Amino acid sequence: MKSPILRRLFLFLAIMGPGIITSNVDNDAGGITTYSVAGAVLGYKILWVFLPVIVALVVIQEMCTRMGAVTGKGLADLIRERFGVRITFYAMVGLLLGNLGNIMSEFAGVAASMELFGVSKYISLPVAAFLVWWLVLRWSFKVVERVFLAACLVYFCYIVSGYLAHPNWGEVAKALVVPSFSFDSSYLVILVGVIGTTIAPWMQFYIQSAVVEKGITVKDYIYTKYDVIVGSIMVNLVAVFIVICCAATLHLKGIKIETAKEAALGLAPLAGAGASTLFAIGLLNASLFSASILPLSTAYFLCEAFGIEAGVDKSWREAPAFYWLYTILIVVGAGLMLIPNISLIAVMFWSQVLNGVMLPFVLIFMLKLINNKDIMGDHVNTRTFNIISWVTVVIMITLSLLIVGTSIFQA
Amino acid sequence: MNNKKEKVRVLGDFFYSQIHRLPIFDHEGLRVGELRDLAIRWEGNTPEVTGLKFAKGVPQHIPVAQVETLNPGGFQLKGSLSAESLIPLQADEIYMGKWLMDKQIIDIKGAKLVRVNDIKVLWLQRGERKYLLPVAVDIGLRGLARRLGVEFIFKKRKNHFVWWQSMQHLEEKTANLKLVSEPSQLDKLHPADLADLIEDLDYKKRTDFIEDLDVETAAEAMAEMELDTQKEIIELMDSQTASDLLEEMPPDEAADLLGELPEEKADELLNLMEPEEAQEVRELMEHEEDTAGALMTTEFMALPPEITVADTFPRLRKLAAEAETIYYLFILEEDETLLGIVSLRELLISEPEARLESIMQTRIVSVLPDDPHERVTELIDKYGLLALPVVEKNGKMLGIITVDDVLEILLPDRGSLETFSNFFTSKRALK
Repeated sequence: MKSPILRRLFLFLAIMGPGIITSNVDNDAGGITTYSVAGAVLGYKILWVFLPVIVALVVIQEMCTRMGAVTGKGLADLIRERFGVRITFYAMVGLLLGNLGNIMSEFAGVAASMELFGVSKYISLPVAAFLVWWLVLRWSFKVVERVFLAACLVYFCYIVSGYLAHPNWGEVAKALVVPSFSFDSSYLVILVGVIGTTIAPWMQFYIQSAVVEKGITVKDYIYTKYDVIVGSIMVNLVAVFIVICCAATLHLKGIKIETAKEAALGLAPLAGAGASTLFAIGLLNASLFSASILPLSTAYFLCEAFGIEAGVDKSWREAPAFYWLYTILIVVGAGLMLIPNISLIAVMFWSQVLNGVMLPFVLIFMLKLINNKDIMGDHVNTRTFNIISWVTVVIMITLSLLIVGTSIFQA
Repeated sequence: MNNKKEKVRVLGDFFYSQIHRLPIFDHEGLRVGELRDLAIRWEGNTPEVTGLKFAKGVPQHIPVAQVETLNPGGFQLKGSLSAESLIPLQADEIYMGKWLMDKQIIDIKGAKLVRVNDIKVLWLQRGERKYLLPVAVDIGLRGLARRLGVEFIFKKRKNHFVWWQSMQHLEEKTANLKLVSEPSQLDKLHPADLADLIEDLDYKKRTDFIEDLDVETAAEAMAEMELDTQKEIIELMDSQTASDLLEEMPPDEAADLLGELPEEKADELLNLMEPEEAQEVRELMEHEEDTAGALMTTEFMALPPEITVADTFPRLRKLAAEAETIYYLFILEEDETLLGIVSLRELLISEPEARLESIMQTRIVSVLPDDPHERVTELIDKYGLLALPVVEKNGKMLGIITVDDVLEILLPDRGSLETFSNFFTSKRALK
């Protein structure tokens, strides 16, 4: 600890978390499905998108973490205090429905990956739902945390999987930096889907609360910035490898897929059983990981915004609304997926539409809040940063409208 | 209400959300604006509305004395609206809606952090004068539904009010208003409840909040908090305030807390503390974790052997304030060697002229400072003690471990029942 570099590293390690965990939750079942489809249908030529996405992700998350560090309040709190209860109510209903859709797709991911290992969803879903519910309510935090940190490492499965697919690295490198664009409708749908799944409204709420709960202050804030950057790069690195893996195999052979499960199945004959199994493990991990965080955080934001008792340290009798909401989200999320022949595509479609409608509002609220001197004091956006963030936000809004438009058009 | 000379009549009973945005008419029925906010001033413990903000961006407001009637259709003024009658916001006034609506407050009775959904406002008349008085904040579901325009869903539910007397606001009013000292409601809370509340606050408010409490209350509440929270609070405070707080805390708690801080910071704080208290804490910090020495406190009742029971009582009165437990008196020689123990019960039933050495218990159960805490729990349990002396090999008494210190070890710490906050992140595993 004598050397300044070591000391800094130590501080960074102590503060990291919000950015990295948020990003990893983001690579959930829906994300993996979207990336697999993108790789299989478009091949390498979608890869260039990930560099700008990293920038957008960093810009947006940085603002949330800054708001959290400066105000010590969550995003839902700030919206309620600044814009009143009605707007908060609509935002929360949107968040609730959007997240319910996400939770369903997480459980769908659990079901799909367990089916790859030969376990029926009628067994895997109840077990997973109970495990998630129980894990959060009954296990000690230390155990949960270790599980989570380990889970973050499991994402590297995809990197190994991508390597096993023997891609043409020269082409990959070129595709990463050279943008290619087409007005082909399938190209647009996938492009918008990839961006939409990477930047979702719930993340803004989640990362800001995480910063607040961790008690990160303006003083230590610089390390959180690194945390956000590392997290954003990590999530996109994993995404890039999923695309590479599918592009090098499925796309090359012209195999069409619609789900992550089909991707894993399609990989086996082309890249070997190892790559396929790793792909399935990655999907299971991502689904469980996000399924444990989303219901809890959703219940928490809602209760906080409306001033209802919340928190796992309260008893069921002290915070009934919180526990019921949490339980219902899991039961409904997992329960609906038990319906035979339910279409995951339809679920993802509606949650994508909802997220797409929500995102512009959330981003605009954020920009209004972060430029409010009463709230942020000297930490409002600088002029340059405002330009960057407005450009990002305008692009994101256009894309979300495109998502909504294309989704409805497709339907 | 009839005990005053003039009768008070309630002319109207509203919620802020119902009168917000109501139109304001002059005496001829001409619309001059709409209610944007209410300027309020503190008269004693309760606020009183002084003016109506009637248009966006206009810094002046209509004095409340100008209002003739208020009903669900709107406000009607006594005369016409003229620029001269308008008054700007005074230094001791504040806009109520902006300051309080949707903000967090502390409900003292429920000892909870809650959010303001609505504010109850009464329109009263006494003699010739009419008053608009905010009387309580609504924190219930019904208030929330009212704001959303769906109050009928909860028609059967009672409104959940917090009256001014039993609420503590978190947002500062104005610099001037803060000077008007209002009796803090927080003293009514049990320190453990206060600690829970502070743990629920966000980190910025926590520190402000603690700084606003008097040092003793703050120290009591601090002692009830989890170590992590204590640490966060101390780290954000300025060093002088932090050291004052540490002085007030029981030395064993202070030592635990300082042991968690970076060495430089701990040294800085220790140097700012009173030398005597700092010395005690330093000694406690030297003991290894999980030993009797780390558990003990140095604040116990020490008395010489030769004094009589009658002489003991006046001394007790003085010592009792500081000591962690008063149920055992420790009889020490001048070189601090422990000779015996007198329990409060024995003291009470003994003859007033008996000397302490004649009534003291000399079969002493004690531990060494290096003994592990399992040994401490075992002894306390076996002999049913309220406190256990920690004695060096040469017989010198160092401190005591009270039964509540041991309880803290035995009971699973509430924090390990994983709060959601912990769930978010990873602060402990990375230590």
